Amino acid sequence: MRRWVENDNVDMVAGLVASSVTIATTKVLEENNKLGLVNGSAASSITNEHCTPNHIHYAYDTYPLANGTAGAIVKEGGKTWYILTADYAFGHSMEKDVTAVVEKNGGEVIGSIRHPFPTPDFSSFILQAQASGADVIALANAGADTTNAITTAAEFGVTQAGQTIAGLVVFLTDVHALGTEVAQGLQLTTGWYWDMNDEARAWSDRFMEETGARPTMVHAGIYSSTIQYLNAIEKTGSDDSQIVRKQMMDTPINDMFATNGRIREDGRMVHDMYLAEVKTPEESSGEWDLYKIVRTIPADEAFRPLADSSCKLVSSK
Amino acid sequence: MSMIFGVPMAVLYGQLLIGVINGAFYALLSLGLAVIFGLLKIINFAHGAMYMLGAMGTVILFDTLGVNYWVALFLAPVLVGTVGVLIEYFLLRRIAGQDHIYSLLLTFGVALIMQGILTNIYGVSGLRYSMPDVFKGGVNLGFMFLPFYRAWVIVAALIVCFGTWFMIEKTKLGAYLRAGTEDSQLMQGFGINVPLLVSLTYGFGVMLAAFAGVLAAPIYSVTPVMGSHILIVVFAVVVIGGLGSIGGAIITGILMGVVEGLTKTFYPPASSAVIFLVMVVVLMVRPSGLFGKEA
Amino acid sequence: MSQNAGKEYEQLRISGLHAFYGESHVLHGIELIVNRGELVTLLGRNGAGRSTTLKAIMNMVGRRTGSIMINGEETMSCAPHNIARLGVGYCPEHRGIFASLSVQENLTLPPVVRSGGMSLEEIYSMFPNLYERRFSQGTKLSGGEQQMLALARILRTGANMLLLDEITEGLAPVIVEKLGEVLLALKKKGLTIILVEQNFHFAAPLADRHYVVEHGQIVEEVSASELHAKQSVLDGYLGV
Repeated sequence: MRRWVENDNVDMVAGLVASSVTIATTKVLEENNKLGLVNGSAASSITNEHCTPNHIHYAYDTYPLANGTAGAIVKEGGKTWYILTADYAFGHSMEKDVTAVVEKNGGEVIGSIRHPFPTPDFSSFILQAQASGADVIALANAGADTTNAITTAAEFGVTQAGQTIAGLVVFLTDVHALGTEVAQGLQLTTGWYWDMNDEARAWSDRFMEETGARPTMVHAGIYSSTIQYLNAIEKTGSDDSQIVRKQMMDTPINDMFATNGRIREDGRMVHDMYLAEVKTPEESSGEWDLYKIVRTIPADEAFRPLADSSCKLVSSK
Repeated sequence: MSMIFGVPMAVLYGQLLIGVINGAFYALLSLGLAVIFGLLKIINFAHGAMYMLGAMGTVILFDTLGVNYWVALFLAPVLVGTVGVLIEYFLLRRIAGQDHIYSLLLTFGVALIMQGILTNIYGVSGLRYSMPDVFKGGVNLGFMFLPFYRAWVIVAALIVCFGTWFMIEKTKLGAYLRAGTEDSQLMQGFGINVPLLVSLTYGFGVMLAAFAGVLAAPIYSVTPVMGSHILIVVFAVVVIGGLGSIGGAIITGILMGVVEGLTKTFYPPASSAVIFLVMVVVLMVRPSGLFGKEA
Repeated sequence: MSQNAGKEYEQLRISGLHAFYGESHVLHGIELIVNRGELVTLLGRNGAGRSTTLKAIMNMVGRRTGSIMINGEETMSCAPHNIARLGVGYCPEHRGIFASLSVQENLTLPPVVRSGGMSLEEIYSMFPNLYERRFSQGTKLSGGEQQMLALARILRTGANMLLLDEITEGLAPVIVEKLGEVLLALKKKGLTIILVEQNFHFAAPLADRHYVVEHGQIVEEVSASELHAKQSVLDGYLGV
């Protein structure tokens, strides 16, 4: 990565998945004054204490995921929480955000456990979460860890016994892998869903033709942010990172990904988020017909307010 | 409720049982490794890939041909075993007698190729395999809810482990295997087709891995890389038990599952390292392993 | 006796046999013939190539050239595990008892290669000690018992040509005497025996002929009747 930027003169880096890697990468970008478009990573710290003028965090982060999902569940009566946390930067950030949201809404976190990343077998941790007697078992992990935990929880009869599972970072592909039988009823927050409007559907059909799968919010975010970046270069006629960034901040984003999205000075792209629920096998009409959108969370409400930000770019204003 | 170090007894029993279940997988896998090491004197780095093939095979057989769990439990190991025999015949045989490093690199390469091909086709996000209906649900043991399938895993793994132990220690075929482990040249001098025995042994060893893979399919996430995660742990288990010891591999496998389970209860962040810690201690105190013969 | 009584049957004919272990050239053109029912010894100093000759017959050396005919059949391209099937029984130096096998497992390990081998009962009546200790670990037996076991297990297979490598080595005189009796009994049954032996006094009264091996070649052939006349020559070769 450092080689790309320093030797190969790469101007822009997109994608960026594991949060810990992303945070290290953005430092290199800052030193070299290039631009990073972060889509895959989740940690909200990327545009908080780790913000730089050289990256934009686009698709989502842990704050709205925690806020959307956890907030909704506490309001529905899930008062006591037990958190299974992936033991690395993203998991810690998620746990912090969730705890804040739960407590703000009058709930209580009665325990948590940090599991190694990745963990192939969750039975031991699920058993401990079960024994805690908490109303809600929250999964502050992602990807295979989340799907493993959900499968194991279903196997050990967690939901039958009256506990709720809250998946905090759940992607469409995860739900697809789990299947509606196991995942039904799971509430999650997403920045985008392929079937949410005509524009998204049309773009997803093209994606499906190319890849044979439906896109997740990360795929859509990478596409949208790259188009925005190229448009900004075209408009300004420059590939200087700060000129491009300024142009991107000044342009509201209206495309297949977002409606009235905008990029804040901390590098956070804020847009509407959606609280979704996984359909039951009966409701689902096909392999990829997996979510129903329960509620739209307005952009201002979804992301961490600038007032609470510890980003150096904000406080210097 | 009585407590031990701040952990309720009921939780502890549950963790012990979970440990035995995970240990059953370790036992099956390390058993295969030990069998292969005994006769072939090679460290089979393709073992994890064979476990993965067993699990992936189960899912693929179901998705494409509708093969059910019970048939897969038999068919997938046989298919993987056949792959193993072919690998032995066409690849491993050519480097027999060379330094360990060659077979290590070769089997590692084979594992990477298999992993790579399957990743290309299926991706790494995991395939879905539905639990067979008969195993849905579970039984409440008082201290924990035991899913029927996990109980089945223990039973099946113990039967296969015991069967393998019996075959090796108590039958004629096993006598060939043990004798071949000591002096395969003399065995040939007696008119025993050792090359065939070697092929079949490798095939059988990887069959055990594939069997573990089938058992894993309904409960673990089935991905092309699932084998590489578990392989390193299983190597540590084999080292702890003592290379080439059949009974040692089984007992150590289960023991390490329990140790790991207890660590997950008392200090979860160490759970992925604890087996290696045990390995280091064992190597310092008893370099030939808990059940290995003193050199 | 069969129709060709009197005509000697060549059970083993070795000609121009060279053998190599990696870079080292051990046998330099061995020539020998063994007829059915004969007991032949290979004498010579340590390292002369006697044991290697037996191993070469079994296809257990690194590389070989030349010719080895067993029962008139060329065996140079024969896989090692097929040699035994021609009726060859091999008893290696240091006996080759398997430590991880019980006495009985050791005994029944080699597959039967021809009919006419001894049954387990016959063997146990010939070696009562083995019967008593049949469930012990093979290497827990005394040296003498282990030697009996190593011999017994090839008798069971029906092999009619035995290659015996240093079977008296390190054994007490009373055991050696017993082994002599066993060999005579086997000879009476018509078995062909090739004996690599250090102990000349053990071998002399048993053997029909002796070959002296030196530097990987046969340097002298002595029949039993010439033994007395050639005693001094032999002594010279054997360094007695």
